[in-house]
Amino acid sequence: MDPWWIDAIKGFLIINIVLVCFAYTTWLERKLLSRMQGRFGPNRAGPFGLLQPIADLVKLVRKEAFMPMSASAKLYIAAPILSTFTALLAFAVIPFGAGWHIWKWDVSGVVVDAPISLVLIFALGSLGVYGFIIGGWASDSKYSTLGAMRTCAQLVSYEVSLALAVLGVVIQAGTLNLSEIVHQQGTQFWFFGPQFVGLVVFFLAGTAETSRPPFDLPEGDTEIVAGYHTEYSGMRWGLFQMSEYVHMITLSALGVTLFFGGWHGPWAPLGPLWFFLKLLVVVFLFIWMRASLPRLRYDQLMRFGWKILLPVATLNAFITALVVVAVN
Amino acid sequence: MIDNWLPFLIFGAFALIIPGTMITASFVLSTRPTHRTKARTVPFESGVSQGPPKQQRFTVSFYLTAMLFILFDIEIVFLYPLAVILRKLGWFGFTEFGFFVAILALAYVYIWRKGALEWR
Repeated sequence: MDPWWIDAIKGFLIINIVLVCFAYTTWLERKLLSRMQGRFGPNRAGPFGLLQPIADLVKLVRKEAFMPMSASAKLYIAAPILSTFTALLAFAVIPFGAGWHIWKWDVSGVVVDAPISLVLIFALGSLGVYGFIIGGWASDSKYSTLGAMRTCAQLVSYEVSLALAVLGVVIQAGTLNLSEIVHQQGTQFWFFGPQFVGLVVFFLAGTAETSRPPFDLPEGDTEIVAGYHTEYSGMRWGLFQMSEYVHMITLSALGVTLFFGGWHGPWAPLGPLWFFLKLLVVVFLFIWMRASLPRLRYDQLMRFGWKILLPVATLNAFITALVVVAVN
Repeated sequence: MIDNWLPFLIFGAFALIIPGTMITASFVLSTRPTHRTKARTVPFESGVSQGPPKQQRFTVSFYLTAMLFILFDIEIVFLYPLAVILRKLGWFGFTEFGFFVAILALAYVYIWRKGALEWR
């Protein structure tokens, strides 16, 4: 058991690392998208545009703070805080290292080593939907309300497939504790082999869950202006953006933890560095998809979620259960 | 009990303070115009500066989706504990698992045939 101040320092470090990751994911996304489209991307602020996120932050904070007169002010302000809060909090249960022995204290490689960490992540993800729907409703604009309804419907539809895709891993590992799942992958094999179908479903549902292209219907700018954050500007908008990116980072980290052995590497025990490298690859995949794929139509999105992903995920869990029990 | 979840509370405090400060900063540090025209404070309507319609109606599919979500989420809530101890339960657990999934599959085929999964 760590003393409380170690938890406080660790929590502070991790949350700041996540925020820096978020800032530089936006930089990486703009840079990569530009290169894929034959442009240069941000290159004025600092070398390679590396100071761009800081410039963005200053710009967003300095923007004029106004809201629609008919908006309900309290909810309008609370919504971005709520969605960022849940997105950041979900990262607390992601294990990033095996734990270290520093001087006379044992420091574990995870902020909260909860026995139900997997369920906790999904629960926090569901709570995040409230942020979007409250924000869209409180703005009192037709595009915001429509966008909020769409977001809600999409997120809840794909959450079912997401949770079912992970069920195979839970059956194989026999635990809901993420650190324990990573330990098992260290001693035997990484779960992306036996759970390949689960991985594919997880990745697709995760893309929809974080509303990344090609599933970025919640802010389909050709149809509903910007979805639930039409009426938001400045840092209030920035917080919605932040929650989306942090959500993406958390889901990528969850994918790495469940399917690719977390902090274990194929060789050289680099610990958290391996975790970070794998995370980078998954984030790169997300950005690559955004550059290459067109947006789906809403009925296509729903049909894909309910008629393809859901049965495939259930079947995957069922077959995993059969194999595990038969081998056992 | 509270000891195990103390780090979670600490992390939660950080996770609440950070967006909180950002929102506060965005109100305190923002530039202020000397006066605002009325058009700025009405919701965005892409050119038509009427207010939003007072009554919003949505397609029934949103409500259907919400109901289906609750059903399938309950399914997951029941399957997770079973998945954790499936190895211990062996064939008994698997039979229960199969029974549960079979009933669900029946319901799933029913709602598919009824057209509840079609978006309209």
